[in-house]
Amino acid sequence: MPLHPVAAAFLEDAFARGWADPAKIHQASRKTALLFNEAKELFASHLGIRADQVEFLSDPALGFHLGVSGLLTAKGKYFYSGVDRSELFALAQLHDGQRLDVSLNGKINYPSGGAEDVLVWQAANGETGITSSAPNEFSGKVFVDATASGNLIPLPSRWHTALWNSRAWQGPAGIGIFAIANRSDWRNPLPHIDHRVSSFDFSIPLAITSAIALDNYVREYKEHQVNLLALNAKIRHFLLTQIGDVDIAGSLDSTLPHLLSFSLLYVDAALLVNELDARGITVDSGSACNSANMEPSHVLAAMGLLTHGNLRMNLHLDTSEESVDHFLRILKEIVARLRS
Amino acid sequence: MELDCRGLRCPIPIIKLAQSLKSHPEVLLLSDDPATLPDLTAWSRMTNNTFQILEANTYLVKKT
Repeated sequence: MPLHPVAAAFLEDAFARGWADPAKIHQASRKTALLFNEAKELFASHLGIRADQVEFLSDPALGFHLGVSGLLTAKGKYFYSGVDRSELFALAQLHDGQRLDVSLNGKINYPSGGAEDVLVWQAANGETGITSSAPNEFSGKVFVDATASGNLIPLPSRWHTALWNSRAWQGPAGIGIFAIANRSDWRNPLPHIDHRVSSFDFSIPLAITSAIALDNYVREYKEHQVNLLALNAKIRHFLLTQIGDVDIAGSLDSTLPHLLSFSLLYVDAALLVNELDARGITVDSGSACNSANMEPSHVLAAMGLLTHGNLRMNLHLDTSEESVDHFLRILKEIVARLRS
Repeated sequence: MELDCRGLRCPIPIIKLAQSLKSHPEVLLLSDDPATLPDLTAWSRMTNNTFQILEANTYLVKKT
């Protein structure tokens, strides 16, 4: 999704006022520190954490390693699922992880686990939008992957580390938010000489801009949620009744309203994406023919969903019913042609 | 009937398979595309057909 328009308008100001090192004593530094602290407060209130728990990462993907490896001890087992991010698959090789099966509707049966075990809880899947119920039965430590759900799903009652990606709320790329519930549960897996979570630099102006984006996104999502849900329902109904031979990921009540993934039988996704693009409609695909490594989406494969002819939709907050009708009309026409 | 789809990428093997099943009750599908196994699984669920993996890249598909 593009940068939130309010954040985009604020970006230049953020760099003009937030360029200094907040740890210094100059006037410019004090201005930056003020803005930066306000940003931390905004993140804390919207994400359900304390301001002193907010840590920034210039590469959100680093947070997967910090979140999992930082909790894991030599005695603990690492549990992840087939729909988790590829970074968490990479950690499974490092920690001899145990992969949990995912059902067709996206449900995962969590183990009860031991006190030293670590489980990934993906609040919502970024490809399909399917949300998961909190792993309340798991007695070990929980890493929350909120990179796709952002502020839309609250933290579970028991969590140990958590990661968000600024992109989830139309914030700028290159900002991740990482939190540790209790420092005594966590040991820094990175080489370090002080208490900082990461010694990698991050952009304070971008972090401030991200907070502005989040603050606006939270308010606007609430305003548009009912409309997004109705549009999502309309698309699902049209696919099933007017197009047919379609595999839709998850049910309406188990997915985030603005996300939708579906696969059309006997359709080449690359041709479909290109034809839609030529008609001014931008959609993504999880099909092999559309991926850099020519492998199908591991998320669709893990759930047993059709991997070819896949489209991933991300409905913008201001999507109108007319634009959805326009898309569906064009989609029906292209699919009929590609299937003939 | 044997259907050799080796070297063909998705969705071609599944499209050719569906066409072949119109005139044959059983098809021996040879396909080395990484999407074929997940797609056969989903396709058989969606179309109420069945398949068995005989060996790597070799599937026996039956119309039901």
